Amino acid sequence: MKRLLCLGLAASLAVLSFGQEFKLGTAVSDFTLSDLNGNPVKFSNLKGDVTVVMFIATQCPVSNAYNGRMSSLANEYASRGVRFIAVNSNATEPAAEVAKHAMNHGFPFKVYKDEKNAVADRFGAQVTPEAFVIDKTGIIRYHGAIDNSRNEGDVKIKALDAAISEVLSGKTVERTEMKAFGCTIKRSKKS
Amino acid sequence: MRTVILTAIASAIALFPVAGPQLKPLDEAGYRRVIDAHKGTVLLVDFWATWCSPCLEELPLLVRLGEKYRGKGLRLVTISCDETSDEPRARQLIEKHKAQPGYLKQAPDDEKFINSVDPKWSGALPGLFLYDRRGRLVRSFIGEADMTALESAIRQLL
Repeated sequence: MKRLLCLGLAASLAVLSFGQEFKLGTAVSDFTLSDLNGNPVKFSNLKGDVTVVMFIATQCPVSNAYNGRMSSLANEYASRGVRFIAVNSNATEPAAEVAKHAMNHGFPFKVYKDEKNAVADRFGAQVTPEAFVIDKTGIIRYHGAIDNSRNEGDVKIKALDAAISEVLSGKTVERTEMKAFGCTIKRSKKS
Repeated sequence: MRTVILTAIASAIALFPVAGPQLKPLDEAGYRRVIDAHKGTVLLVDFWATWCSPCLEELPLLVRLGEKYRGKGLRLVTISCDETSDEPRARQLIEKHKAQPGYLKQAPDDEKFINSVDPKWSGALPGLFLYDRRGRLVRSFIGEADMTALESAIRQLL
């Protein structure tokens, strides 16, 4: 029992030390978000055969430049069992603002609040927009940008689209990560 | 028709009254050259963009910090991560805040560029990178920087 407690403590410390718990190629455990009325919602009740978790923002111009592209992808893959979950972890953007933003842009996916950025911390998400593709076994198969340019006309690499397609067809994801410039997630101040 | 064209030109000039030199384009190799050229000084590199509000809040504070410690060997280099089409606006802001003429990131692959600065960096802005006099990266501040911590880190290196 004592040994188990020690192991548990060590595991907790590891999470605290490194922040990020869910990494590329590893499985995510269940986590809780809040719907825009403040009700807790578990990931296990939201996920699809393939799930795309996207960290987005209401005020970040880069994230907003992707509103149309995110909606198109969600619509394109909806019939193939892919569930898109948008997460707003910004302490500076309250639920009411997130709800208004989602309504104004007619998102075909739901947006959830991540109170005290607990979920962003577990994913190690830093920037908006930032996407994670989770396969049906719960393993993260892609992490990073939606594509290579905030200007739609300059897009050459549709990394998220390609990753979803590869996961759906059981192929190895060729490009598993892609970085791009974006807005920092505005985390709540730790007391 | 002529009046419309002249009005449009006047509006454009009013919007972007930029007289100073254009921001210099910078890729991965150019970034390395900037770091090397500043060996012997303590170098603070500010990655920013016109669309990044915390970057715009920080810019005048960084310029002030740069001026305050310039005599002791601190140099501030600003690198705009805007698209080329936003260069006039970026230049206008640089001039408004009386920063030294800076650079415009112009690399074909953002990921390669980001990793060349620091593989641990996600690309989130603002991004501040502090180099010692030997050109070694010693500290980074991603997101809104704690100016007290930044100044303290600079003083330690000076």
